Amino acid sequence: MSLNKKISLKIALPWLRRFLAYGFLALLLLAFLNPRPLSEVVAFLARFQFGQALAHLASGGDPKTIALVTVMALLTCFLGRWFCGFVCPLGALMDLVSRLKGLFGRRRFRYKPFTFKSVLIPLLTLIAFWFGASTFFGLLEPYSLLVSKSLVYAGPNLLLFGVIILAFWRGRSFCDFLCPTGLVLKILALASPFHLSVKANCLKCGACSRVCAAFCVDGQTQTLDRGRCLLCFDCLAVCPNGSLSWGRVSAPRALPVQSRRSFLSQAAFGVLAFGSWLAPETLRAKTLGQPDAAPILPPGALSLAHFGAHCSLCHGCVRLCPNQALVPSSVTHPALWDRPVLDPYQGFCQYDCVLCAQICPTGALRPLSVEEKHRTRLGQVTFERAECVIVKNGTSCGACAELCPTGAVRMTMTPLDREEPFIRDNLCVGCGACQQACPVRPISAIRVTGLLIHQTADLPVVIETEDETLTEDFPF
Amino acid sequence: MNRRTFLKTLASGALAVSLGSRLNPLSQALAQTPGLPNLVATKGADLPAMFDKSLTALGGLERFVKKGQTVLIKPNMAWAVAPEGAANTNPALIAHIIKNVLNLGAKRVYVYDNTCDNWNDAYRLSGLEKAATEAGATVAPAHQEGYYQKVEVPGAEYLKTIQYHELYLEADAIINVPVLKHHGGAKMTAALKNLMGAIWDRRPLHRQGLDETIPEMFLYKKPTLHVVDAARVMLNGGPRGYGDSRYLASQMLVVSPDPVAADAACAKIVEAAGLRVPDYIARAAKIGLGEADLTKLNVQRLVV
Repeated sequence: MSLNKKISLKIALPWLRRFLAYGFLALLLLAFLNPRPLSEVVAFLARFQFGQALAHLASGGDPKTIALVTVMALLTCFLGRWFCGFVCPLGALMDLVSRLKGLFGRRRFRYKPFTFKSVLIPLLTLIAFWFGASTFFGLLEPYSLLVSKSLVYAGPNLLLFGVIILAFWRGRSFCDFLCPTGLVLKILALASPFHLSVKANCLKCGACSRVCAAFCVDGQTQTLDRGRCLLCFDCLAVCPNGSLSWGRVSAPRALPVQSRRSFLSQAAFGVLAFGSWLAPETLRAKTLGQPDAAPILPPGALSLAHFGAHCSLCHGCVRLCPNQALVPSSVTHPALWDRPVLDPYQGFCQYDCVLCAQICPTGALRPLSVEEKHRTRLGQVTFERAECVIVKNGTSCGACAELCPTGAVRMTMTPLDREEPFIRDNLCVGCGACQQACPVRPISAIRVTGLLIHQTADLPVVIETEDETLTEDFPF
Repeated sequence: MNRRTFLKTLASGALAVSLGSRLNPLSQALAQTPGLPNLVATKGADLPAMFDKSLTALGGLERFVKKGQTVLIKPNMAWAVAPEGAANTNPALIAHIIKNVLNLGAKRVYVYDNTCDNWNDAYRLSGLEKAATEAGATVAPAHQEGYYQKVEVPGAEYLKTIQYHELYLEADAIINVPVLKHHGGAKMTAALKNLMGAIWDRRPLHRQGLDETIPEMFLYKKPTLHVVDAARVMLNGGPRGYGDSRYLASQMLVVSPDPVAADAACAKIVEAAGLRVPDYIARAAKIGLGEADLTKLNVQRLVV
């Protein structure tokens, strides 16, 4: 290879990486800002997130996800943590923030040897996930963190703010000691044949260590922690002597590797971490508390046990719900740890819509066909007749029956010679439309109580009748 | 004329002028144009042709829409239901009215509805978004409170303030094009009830009673013309309709500048099919929005 080609690769690689990573970030933000027309894009980007795909596997997955995870994992075994450098949107954001520091003055890093402490948090997070406590995973998984904390919560969010401060101050250390997805990828990347290598003409100047936001390369001792390298390639661009290169390294002598001890300990943690995903569903403990008032779980959630164990808190469904009916539950149902629930006072679940179940990246919401959705009962309606304006004031209303998509609430003539809501339990799907429409506030006269295990509703009766006709042309 | 009658006439004249100016003088005057019918009902299978014939009988569309005006056409497109369900206004009728209004030289034609089902689905599945856009109208969103402006309603007993869509307030002429059908809460929906899709805050109407509040939506600004699609009338399970809904093939179009007269005629249609008549028609007549007694009006009946 000529010198020219080598130099151009050194410039092209970091720029290609930035282009892709920032592109994914921009595409994700764009898709979430116009979620309805771009729901396919959102679904695609969400499925492509390694952490979310792993969580999907844990919930049973589908052949596509199994194939995707396998391919992504194999690529990581060969190339290293390409996902963290090229795809991860939170990684791209941290990268941008870290670069900002350069504008304000010195942006300089120093190699940090591997320590036991650095894997503790992600490891515990993964083990907690094993026991069905997906909350911690959800809080730290980069995609969940970015989408939920930047796009769903309008106000300043402490967690995202903390991550940004950390990125400004310490580069991409989040990827090393907090990210659960990062830990899995770290293990996979430990023995990758493609990695950085250094030639004999190295000046040991340490320029590579100073730009490495992942703290993984030590110029002085020519050491590289392959598990932590995020493939940002910034070091290639700064090496004054052209002695760093990235590619397949076969000769063991040429390897600048981390110590055997750090390799083995990391590998041990890796085995433990992977155990989390091999645990069968039956081993998962129910770790969510019992909520005070029964929450209405989104369609496809199946049950509180399934939903609680697999929701990664990305809140993509909250952001995408066309009726803004899904809300984070931290205030209304603290025991659910912020998992999305349906709040009929905000909006109701549109009868023909299956968007949330379609875009859920972890399978916490199982995809539903419209036909299945029509029969999925999320909750049960109760009608407090005494509180209804028709009964109380003798006026006409019928707002609940007007919006009921199945006829579970229908206006029926009473002996009092007026129409009042009448409930047919078997038709109710628990969408909350009646509760939303009811004019009685603060508590509706008709309301839906969530079912912790979703049920099946009967389909409305269809009776085709011939159109009636008038006996005279004009009845007036 | 003695002094007393002179003063009485003067006072009532002043009152009429002060009220009339609030109530859109054009529509007030139109409802009472001598010689022309107050209401035209047509029977037939072709809604656009029935509309043309009705308007010819009423003295032409140019009585209601002037060149250069901004016109709002308010259909019922509140439901994510296909046209066959007759839950929304017929798209062919809306498209035909839009084309006619544009042919008269209207500056812009707007169409919107504050839907009950999700607005995207309702606009799309009703077939009205496509039909209206192709006919040359601007189909505007109406699903967020920001599109609405709060106004004080003069003489209102229940709805002291109403949030109207900015296009409702901006329009020089409004054509109200509802579909006639059964309504579980209000008993029947046609011209008067259709304005609930023109405003934002429906909850106060339901809370205080539909019969009492529906007429008051007309106190601030009235549509100039009401065209009621009564071609196929849903007889039960309204306003959305269910799998067991029955229909009346009444094949009618009711056109009038007077919403009360239009609803009174519609009430006769549904009454003939065994439905009950809502109280809000009588109340609307009582507060002076129009005439509920068809025998007092010049009603023209045409078969197309």
